[in-house]
Amino acid sequence: MVSEQEIKQLVIERLKTLPEEVGMSIGSKGDFNKNEIIAHVEKGDDIGQKIVEVEMNFLRGLKDGMLYET
Amino acid sequence: MKHSLLVTRPNFDLTTRYISIWAKKIIALAEEKGSAVFDLDKNRANRKEFESIIRKKEPSLVFLNGHGDYNVVAGQDNEELIRVGENEKLLKSKIVYALSCRSGKILGPSSVKSGADAYIGYDEDFIFLYDGNKRTRPEQDKIAEMFSEPSNQVMVSLLKNHMPKEAHKNSKQSFARRIKKLLSSQSTALESSAVRYLIWNMQHQVCCERYVIIN
Repeated sequence: MVSEQEIKQLVIERLKTLPEEVGMSIGSKGDFNKNEIIAHVEKGDDIGQKIVEVEMNFLRGLKDGMLYET
Repeated sequence: MKHSLLVTRPNFDLTTRYISIWAKKIIALAEEKGSAVFDLDKNRANRKEFESIIRKKEPSLVFLNGHGDYNVVAGQDNEELIRVGENEKLLKSKIVYALSCRSGKILGPSSVKSGADAYIGYDEDFIFLYDGNKRTRPEQDKIAEMFSEPSNQVMVSLLKNHMPKEAHKNSKQSFARRIKKLLSSQSTALESSAVRYLIWNMQHQVCCERYVIIN
């Protein structure tokens, strides 16, 4: 069982590999550059939790074979 | 069949700037097909004009672009255009696509209950990646294009007279094709990240018609 902290760290490590110029729009929550995204994940606020939720969704999908269904 | 199309395109921050530009392709396609297009861009994306065009022109298709939440879709400067319990009845007999966060959850079903033919939207946040070097020229942003194409597929299909549930299905297939392409190539870190958000958007696009929600 992977802990939430481990998932958070995994997300941060992956985000660090993104090109510096990449940004992310999360609807009305705003738009963020790479460093801001990482900071939100580290902080664990609403935006950070959303990024982690997307990652968890992806990992669960892999486990459930979602990508073979699409 | 020729449609008449109402498009709302607020443009006051990065997200609305991007989706406003994405919608231009749909406007061009609609005009090419001979549809009447009512384009409420920037300051015209306000409640007064929105309600007026809906009442006077009775468009068959409504394409909403803007920020939103479970109960609401907004226009310029986040002025509320349509809200559950206030004016969703205006969408009666219309097919709606909302490129907006979350409105597919409550506003969508509520609109259909109030007489809309169908409401396609997202029941969670719509997320996209973009190239920071292109933020003032969204039309040249190849990163964001990975997200705009599958989204726009809904309107492309509707303009080709597909049924709403087919348009929804076609859009999801477009997301899936993009995801598979990214996974099957030698994925860069960027592409690998993009896959997560494409899957998220694909999974959270919903189509509500005749009291049935199709995921």
